[in-house]
Amino acid sequence: MMTKKLSIQRYLPEQGNAPYWQDFDVPFDDSTSILDALNYVKEELDGSLTYRWSCRMAICGSCGVMINNTPKLGCNSFLREYEGPVKIAPLAHFPVEKDLIVDMEPFLDHLAAVQPYLIDDSRLIDDNEEGTQTYKQTPAQMEKYKQFAGCINCGLCYSACPQFGLNPEFLGPAALTLAHRYNLDSRDQGKKQRMAQMSREEGVWSCTFVGFCSAVCPKNVDPAAAVNQGKVESAKDMLIGIFKG
Amino acid sequence: MAKQTSYFPELKRNWWLKHPYFKKYMAREATVLPLVFFLVCLLVGLFSLLQGAESWQGWLRFMQNPLVIAVNALAFIASLFHAWTFFQLFPRVMPLRVGGRALPPNLMVLGQWFGVVVVMILAAWIFMRGL
Ligand code: SF4
Ligand code: FES
Repeated sequence: MMTKKLSIQRYLPEQGNAPYWQDFDVPFDDSTSILDALNYVKEELDGSLTYRWSCRMAICGSCGVMINNTPKLGCNSFLREYEGPVKIAPLAHFPVEKDLIVDMEPFLDHLAAVQPYLIDDSRLIDDNEEGTQTYKQTPAQMEKYKQFAGCINCGLCYSACPQFGLNPEFLGPAALTLAHRYNLDSRDQGKKQRMAQMSREEGVWSCTFVGFCSAVCPKNVDPAAAVNQGKVESAKDMLIGIFKG
Repeated sequence: MAKQTSYFPELKRNWWLKHPYFKKYMAREATVLPLVFFLVCLLVGLFSLLQGAESWQGWLRFMQNPLVIAVNALAFIASLFHAWTFFQLFPRVMPLRVGGRALPPNLMVLGQWFGVVVVMILAAWIFMRGL
């Protein structure tokens, strides 16, 4: 079997403050993913290597790492695609807790900030029969937001976004996409609340359309498109606000 | 918040040199530089027109300087490049629907270039009439 060199960024907080690089030779064939390679390192070469993973089929979103400076899902990238040595580092723009594990808390906070759920006060009345009725939505209504609903919260787009790297307060691609996704949903009434978040300085206007987020998204969500459609909505919102006085 | 034990790499000023994608982005942003030069030329031209024949002739001579022509040619190419990138982004930012169907992005890109050609022909026509 052929082998390839992996260069992995290690960080062991109990051993000091500086991260360092460690090389491993890993056997591979056409089907060996980066995640397989990491598993091989952990099982055969160095049990202390720490990283996240679960589904190994690009749906749980937990195995994101930087591969040669590009954010990728480890389970969805293959050693055969790379000339060695392959550089693997933790996702950029997040605090690193250990080896390839980053603290996703800032990302999750931003997601929560845009209220990513159906808001519809008319259905709050408990005893009312109406509250138990199912929502109806036509395929055409669903089509409007479907692409933006495919997000698996992997955070790759945040590691691709220099604006988030420069200002961690920027709500960022996935959160703004989620806000737009719910605003486009015919069952939702919460646009007004979300616009307040989208229109503030750390909202859509912090985006300069670098577009790398959409290039790295493993689910073709196209967050850059959503954020910039959000700018159009935000501008409309402001104009309407001015005319209404 | 980051815990005490975590390590937070700071983004360096040269972040955009780290990936070809970012270099392309910076090239798109940099197209504004020669364009600013062109706009300044234009403004100075208008100003010298008001100043009288002599300064207008001076401006004409300045504009014929090979270096000035080169930078302005660069501005022209840069604005075409910027338009090319912008036109591709446009259908993603403003997806249009006609009769309930999404307009194909390629058609929108083509439409925008058609607009550019129309404007150019119009400008050429006005210019030729003046000669
Ligand atoms: S938008 Fe794409 S890259 Fe960003 S978190 Fe969602 S799935 Fe991941
Ligand atoms: S392991 Fe679940 S997305 Fe890779």
